[in-house]
Amino acid sequence: MLARHAESLFWAGRHIERAESTARLLDVTYHTHLEAMAGSETASWHDLLKILHVDLAFSESERILKADVVSEFLVFDPSNPGTIRSNVTQARENLRAVRELISTEMWEAVNAFHLRLSARDLSDDVRGEPHELYAMVRTQCQALAGVASETMPRDECWNFLSLGWMLERSVMTLRLLLVRYSQLVSAGATGGFHHWVSTLKSASGSEAFRRRYRASMDPADVVAFLLMARDFPRSVLFGLQAAEKALSWIDGTSSPNTRPQRLLGRLRADVEFLDVRELLSGDLSVYLDMVEHDIRQVAESIETTYFRSTDETALHVLDPTMVWR
Amino acid sequence: MEGLFTDYDTGGFFDEAHDDDGSARSHYQALIAQVGGFPPAELDRREKLRDEAFRTAGITFTVYGETEGVERTFPMDLVPRLIPADEWKTVEAGLAQRVTVLNRFLDDLYNGERAAVRDGIVPWWLIASSDGFCREAAGIPVPHGARCLVAGVDIVRDGNGDYCVLEDNLRNPSGISYVLENRQAMTRVLPKVFANHRVRPVDHYGLSLLHALQSVAPPSASDDPTVVVLTPGVFNSAYFEHAFLARQMGVELVEGRDLVVDDHTVAMRTTQGMKRVDVIYRRIDDDFLDPVVFRPDSTLGVPGLMAAARAQTVTIANAVGNGVADDKAVYAYVPDLIRYYTGEEPILPNIETYLLWEPEQRAHVLDRLDQLVIKPVAEAGGYGVVIGPKATDAELAECRAQIEADPRNYIAQEVVQLSRHPTLVDDHMEGRHIDLRPFVLCGDKVEVIPGGLTRVALTKGSLIVNSSQGGGSKDTWVLAPEDA
Repeated sequence: MLARHAESLFWAGRHIERAESTARLLDVTYHTHLEAMAGSETASWHDLLKILHVDLAFSESERILKADVVSEFLVFDPSNPGTIRSNVTQARENLRAVRELISTEMWEAVNAFHLRLSARDLSDDVRGEPHELYAMVRTQCQALAGVASETMPRDECWNFLSLGWMLERSVMTLRLLLVRYSQLVSAGATGGFHHWVSTLKSASGSEAFRRRYRASMDPADVVAFLLMARDFPRSVLFGLQAAEKALSWIDGTSSPNTRPQRLLGRLRADVEFLDVRELLSGDLSVYLDMVEHDIRQVAESIETTYFRSTDETALHVLDPTMVWR
Repeated sequence: MEGLFTDYDTGGFFDEAHDDDGSARSHYQALIAQVGGFPPAELDRREKLRDEAFRTAGITFTVYGETEGVERTFPMDLVPRLIPADEWKTVEAGLAQRVTVLNRFLDDLYNGERAAVRDGIVPWWLIASSDGFCREAAGIPVPHGARCLVAGVDIVRDGNGDYCVLEDNLRNPSGISYVLENRQAMTRVLPKVFANHRVRPVDHYGLSLLHALQSVAPPSASDDPTVVVLTPGVFNSAYFEHAFLARQMGVELVEGRDLVVDDHTVAMRTTQGMKRVDVIYRRIDDDFLDPVVFRPDSTLGVPGLMAAARAQTVTIANAVGNGVADDKAVYAYVPDLIRYYTGEEPILPNIETYLLWEPEQRAHVLDRLDQLVIKPVAEAGGYGVVIGPKATDAELAECRAQIEADPRNYIAQEVVQLSRHPTLVDDHMEGRHIDLRPFVLCGDKVEVIPGGLTRVALTKGSLIVNSSQGGGSKDTWVLAPEDA
C-alpha cells in the first residue's frame, strides 16, 4: 500500500475521533454549568482547553476565558487548527485522497457530515443552544465508525484507519484523566461526586461505570475504569489494545519486530498490569504524563516506519563533502 | 414514423440513422422501432435509471475557467450510435495504419535517423518549431518503438458520410472511462435493446491496457513488471478516469510525491518500504513530469524521472515528446508520412488543411476567413478554435491579426458538415452533430477498441463536441459481423 494512502487513513481516523471527543467535552462542560454546580466556571473551561492541548494557543490569542468564547474557539475559530469544523474538513480531505480505497458508503457518510456541518450557522449554535450541534457531531462520528466497520474489509486500509482512530482515543481519554486528576491534586481535595461523574460522562462512560461499580464513586475505581477497563471502548487500555491489533495486522506477523510494535506492546503491557491503588499512593500525574509521552512516541515511530521510510530519509541527506569534490 | 421520431428532420445533413429520403438505415431499423415506441413515462423511468447509474459511479469531470473547478457529470444520451461491421472494418484498418505510422515517425524522430526529415517528407524547421517537440526525449528508446501506447484519434463523417480524421491525440488522450461507463449504464438502461443487437464488447480495455503497458517494460524488469498510473491528483479534471483505469488494471494510482528516483531507478513509497516501478502510465503533461528537466516549479512530477528513463530502468507511457506528432500543422503531413513509411495510400483521409506560413495558402485563407475553421496548432480540448461562419467580425479581425503575427501557430481547415445523429431532446428526437474518438493501444501489437467515445454537441446547431464546451456523449455500438 502506498505510504501516502496509509498516512491519509491514519489521519482521517485521528481527526474523526478528535472531532467527537471535542464535541463531547464541550457538551459535558456546558451542561455541568447549567446545573449550577460548585466550582469555578472559568477553571473548567480552562481544563477543557488543557485537555485538548490548546490552552497556550488560547491564552496567547488574548481571548476572554468564558463559555461562548472558548466554545467558538473550539468549534469553528479559523485561528485554531483543531476545531471541530477543521477536524471534520481534514477527515474528509484525507478520505478524499483515498476515495478509491474506501467504500462508497464511507465516502458518502463523511461527505454528508461535512456538508451538514458547513450548512449550519455555527456561531448561532454556540451562542444559542449548542447541545444539538454537539449531539449531531457525536452521532455523525459514531455513524462513521459504524459505516466503516460495516462496509470496509479488514485490510491494510481498515487497519491504518483504525490505528489512528484508536491511538487518538487513548490520548484523549488519557488527557481527560490527567487534567481532571491534576486539578484535584492542586486543589488539595479528592473531588466530589459531580466532578467524577462529569469526567466519566466526558468519556461516555458514566452508565457503564455505574453498572459495574453501583453506588461507589471511589476515585481509584474511576481511574482504573478509564485507564484500564478491558471491555470499555473508551478506556486507554482498550484503545492501545485495538491499535496494537491493527499494527500487528499491518506487519503481517504476531512477533513484534518493528519499532512501533515494540513501543506499543511495552506500553500496553504496562497499562494492562497496573496496580491502581499503588499508583494512587504516589503521584498519578507523573505516571499519566509518561503514558502520554509514550503514546506520542508510538505515533512518531509509526510516522517514520510506515509513512517516511528511513532509506528515503537517507537519500535526501546530502553528503556535504560531495559538493566540494 | 411514430412516437419519438415523429417529424424527425435530417435537416439536409448526413444523418447516421436515416437516408436522405428520411427512411431508417437498415442497421438502425430495430433500434428506432424499439426506442421510438417508448411512451413518455417509460422514457422518464429510463432516464432516471441512467442518472442513478452515473451518480453512484461518481462520474464527473471538472470544468476549468469557472470560479472554482465545478464538478459536472458528462451527460450520456439515451440513443446509442451504431456502426455496422463493414464500416468499422475500414475505420479499424485506417486507425491501425495511422497510429502505426505515427509511432514509426516518432521513433524515427527521437530514436532513429530522422529519415522522414532527411528525405524531405516533413521540413525540419516545422519539427524544431513545434511546441510538442522535446529535445530531452531524443535518444530515449521505448521497447517496440511504442512511443504512443494509447492514441485517441478524432474521427468525423462529412456531408457524404465519409469517415475522415479530424485530429490525432497522442499525448494523454482521455475519455476511455466514459466509453466503459456508458456501456455499463446502457446495459442497465436499455437491456432488451442491447440484447437485440450483436454489440462488440469493450470491457476488456483494462486488461488490454495492462498487457500493453507490461509489454513495454524495460529489459531489466522482472517477468511481472510493476505498472503504476501517475496522476496529478484529485483536483485534475480527469482524476476520475485516472482512478478508474488504475482500478480496472488493479495497479496503484500514484502521485509524483509517491515516487522517488534513486540511482536511476524509480521506486514508490509503500508502507513496506520502497518498491521498484517498471512502467509509468503517466497522465501528467510533459512539462510537469520532471522538475530537473522541465518546469522547475512543478510539484506534480518526479525529480530524476527523465534520467531514469534514459538509463532504461523505467518506461514512461506515453513517451515524452509525442506532442510533435499531434501538432495540428504536422497533421497536414500525416498522409505523406503514411505513404512514405508504408508505401500504402491512407485508408482514412485528412480534412483539407491549409498551412498558413505558405504565403499563397495564407492569402487564400485570409480571403475566406469567414468560411473556414481556424485552430491553434498546439491546443487540445477545442480551446481557441474559431469557426469562421459563426464568428463575429471582431473575432475574425482578431483571428486575422493573430495569424499574421504568428502564422506557424495556426492552421485553417474547411468546415466539415459533421454528421448528425438522433438525440433525445425533451420528449422527442432531434439531429445533433457528433464525432468519434476511438482508442488505439500499441504495445507489442496494435489493438483498436471497438467503437470509442461518440461525443455529441448537445446545443442545437453547434459543432463543438468537447466535454469542456458543453458536449455530451453516446454509447457506441460496433456491430459484430453477421458470420462471426
